[in-house]
Amino acid sequence: MDDLLAQLQELFRTVFDDDQLILRREMTVNDIEGWDSLRHVDLIIATEAHFRVRFATAEVARLAERDQNIGTFLELIGDKLS
Amino acid sequence: MTDEPAERADTPPDAVELLQSYLSSSPARRLAAFGDLVRHLQAAVGEQRQELAAGLLRRVPVPGLDYTAARGLAEIYRRLCAAGAASGKGMRLAVLGGFTTEQLTELIGLFSFMRGASVEVYRAGYGVFRQEILDPSSPLGRFCPDMIFLATSWHDLARRPGPGDEDSRVEELLEEELADWLGLWQRAHEQLGCQVIQSNFAPPPWRPLGNHEARQRAGFGRFVASLNALLQDRAPVFVTIHDVAHLAAAAGLWTWSDPRYYHLAKMPCAPELLVDYADSVAALVGARLGLSKKCMALDLDNTLWGGIIGDDGLEGIRLGPGEPEGEAFSEFQAYLKQLRERGVLLAVCSKNSEQVAKAPFEEHPDMVLRLEDICCFTANWNDKARNLRGIARQLNLGLDSFVLVDDNPAERALVRRALPDVAVPELPADPAGFIRAIEAHRYFEVLSLAPEDLARTDYYRANAARAQAESSYDDLDGFLRSLAMKGRSAAIDRGSLERSAQLINRANQFNLTTRRYAQADLAVLMEDEGWVTQCFWLSDRFGDNGLISVVLAKLEGEHLEIDTWVMSCRVFQRGMERFVLAKLLDIAAEWEVTAIHGEYLPTERNQLVRDLYRDFGFEQTYRGEDGGSRWRLGLPAGGVELGCFIEDESDG
Repeated sequence: MDDLLAQLQELFRTVFDDDQLILRREMTVNDIEGWDSLRHVDLIIATEAHFRVRFATAEVARLAERDQNIGTFLELIGDKLS
Repeated sequence: MTDEPAERADTPPDAVELLQSYLSSSPARRLAAFGDLVRHLQAAVGEQRQELAAGLLRRVPVPGLDYTAARGLAEIYRRLCAAGAASGKGMRLAVLGGFTTEQLTELIGLFSFMRGASVEVYRAGYGVFRQEILDPSSPLGRFCPDMIFLATSWHDLARRPGPGDEDSRVEELLEEELADWLGLWQRAHEQLGCQVIQSNFAPPPWRPLGNHEARQRAGFGRFVASLNALLQDRAPVFVTIHDVAHLAAAAGLWTWSDPRYYHLAKMPCAPELLVDYADSVAALVGARLGLSKKCMALDLDNTLWGGIIGDDGLEGIRLGPGEPEGEAFSEFQAYLKQLRERGVLLAVCSKNSEQVAKAPFEEHPDMVLRLEDICCFTANWNDKARNLRGIARQLNLGLDSFVLVDDNPAERALVRRALPDVAVPELPADPAGFIRAIEAHRYFEVLSLAPEDLARTDYYRANAARAQAESSYDDLDGFLRSLAMKGRSAAIDRGSLERSAQLINRANQFNLTTRRYAQADLAVLMEDEGWVTQCFWLSDRFGDNGLISVVLAKLEGEHLEIDTWVMSCRVFQRGMERFVLAKLLDIAAEWEVTAIHGEYLPTERNQLVRDLYRDFGFEQTYRGEDGGSRWRLGLPAGGVELGCFIEDESDG
């Protein structure tokens, strides 16, 4: 499991208060229980704080859409870090 | 070295170590240290050690918590609530938001718990705050809130001036907007009878008019500022204005507003600042419940001045103009002085000989604080925990009323471990940062200020002087005579109404019948010709005790019936009861009644006055199984002992 995914898994575990949560690249909004709009905001906040990146308004909205998954999320973070 | 048994801390050493480690961690270590603390808390909750987790959670300081960390703690708090382990002073709070309030409400609940409250929250749906208040059948009414919090932002303003609007038109818009809010509060108060907390409005950070925005009445920035001023001036007594404008200014307007989160989720500010926002509201909840701190215990060396007075002497300590660090300490003292002037007590708790410690207060020209600002001065070589317990005893305050201000991390750690109830804020090494470090905790929030608050330090100093004088007398009479007491009696009027009502509603020990009267009800009795409503003041050579006794008596045909008689515990055993009874006899003679009747209704707290009427020579006319009794004194009364050492200063 690469480092970025591991870090994101930690963040998800904190935000969803579930230390058993396993994150996989294929997972989408529908695959994780409790991932509603409120949790989405909390996730973005935690991600921005941890990785010290900033998402544009449209990027955040897009991430919650059906065709997005953890993989695309990681790509977005990766782009901002490079 | 303490001569008392080991203090029972409500958290075992390893948990305190984790807390300590988190508090003193460097920024790099902070995240990991916090993670350790949270895991420990979660484990404790999971293992059914909820009391322990609750105690530890209450001691995590709020300043410095980031949003994600705070949400993590909120989860733990939620679990404690579910397990029934989150106790505190109860309050029903309704949060009505113009913006998204889910996260804010959770954090308000958490931070209120951390201040000692247990808040049951009703959260209205998004944006429907007006409807909830105006609709009598809304769930808000059924919830019966003690307090309503209106979570509003500038987006909720119904009006804004146009660029070409005349000043008179802007005035009109301001008055209309204010009238809307006034109407809403009035309605809430009428329906629900509760306190309202209204958020004022942080302006958007942009200024289309640039520097001219503040000058132009029709500019939105100016409009918001004018409205905020009107809110503060015109809010009725049951409304508290929550100063969001200050929160935003303190954070910096651009830092405060994060438009992305408004567009995405209708959050009123940057998420990181929601923590501060929630704590600000929690501090008001705490103030309402009487949970604000009352006394700051101050270290001296390197806290009030630079250097060590015992080593450096008066000329060597760094204080006052001419030296940057000295100026920082002066500013800190000036801040403390302002706190004391508004009713916060200042005590000194220092490791020094008393004489050496007092010298700067008495002789240093640049000291801002003087001995008269200190209600209790403790300087010796005992350990701080023991001294703090002594100060608490002397001031008759719980340890949870105290804040310890000490530059020394080792002393802070020691007191945190020994006295978990005492608040011990972290201080930076630089004294220029002391004020901010203390302000961040919002220890001393109030909802209003009374003359009693302003005189609080004087009262404590006078009491200390009295206690000292008493210890130098062998006989009580000698001491009482030496006090040179003066008493005054008058009918209750507009000026004494509030304090009289306060006394009636707070007195528990010297209270014959424990009947409580709202101020409005007392005002009615005050005007009623068939009632005697008398209040009493007492002062002595040490100071004024203020209004300390109230009697309400009804004229029932041939006799006077004492309905209520209360006295402040401040003035027990001074002979004031005799002074009061003497006055009642005078009044009875004026009204030509043939007897005075009294009643004793027993409670858990008023055993003190069970035999009061008997001791005065009243005849018992009834005795109940519950310990209640009724009494009668025929007039004219002979042989009633009324002598006391109190000189009568009443008018007429």
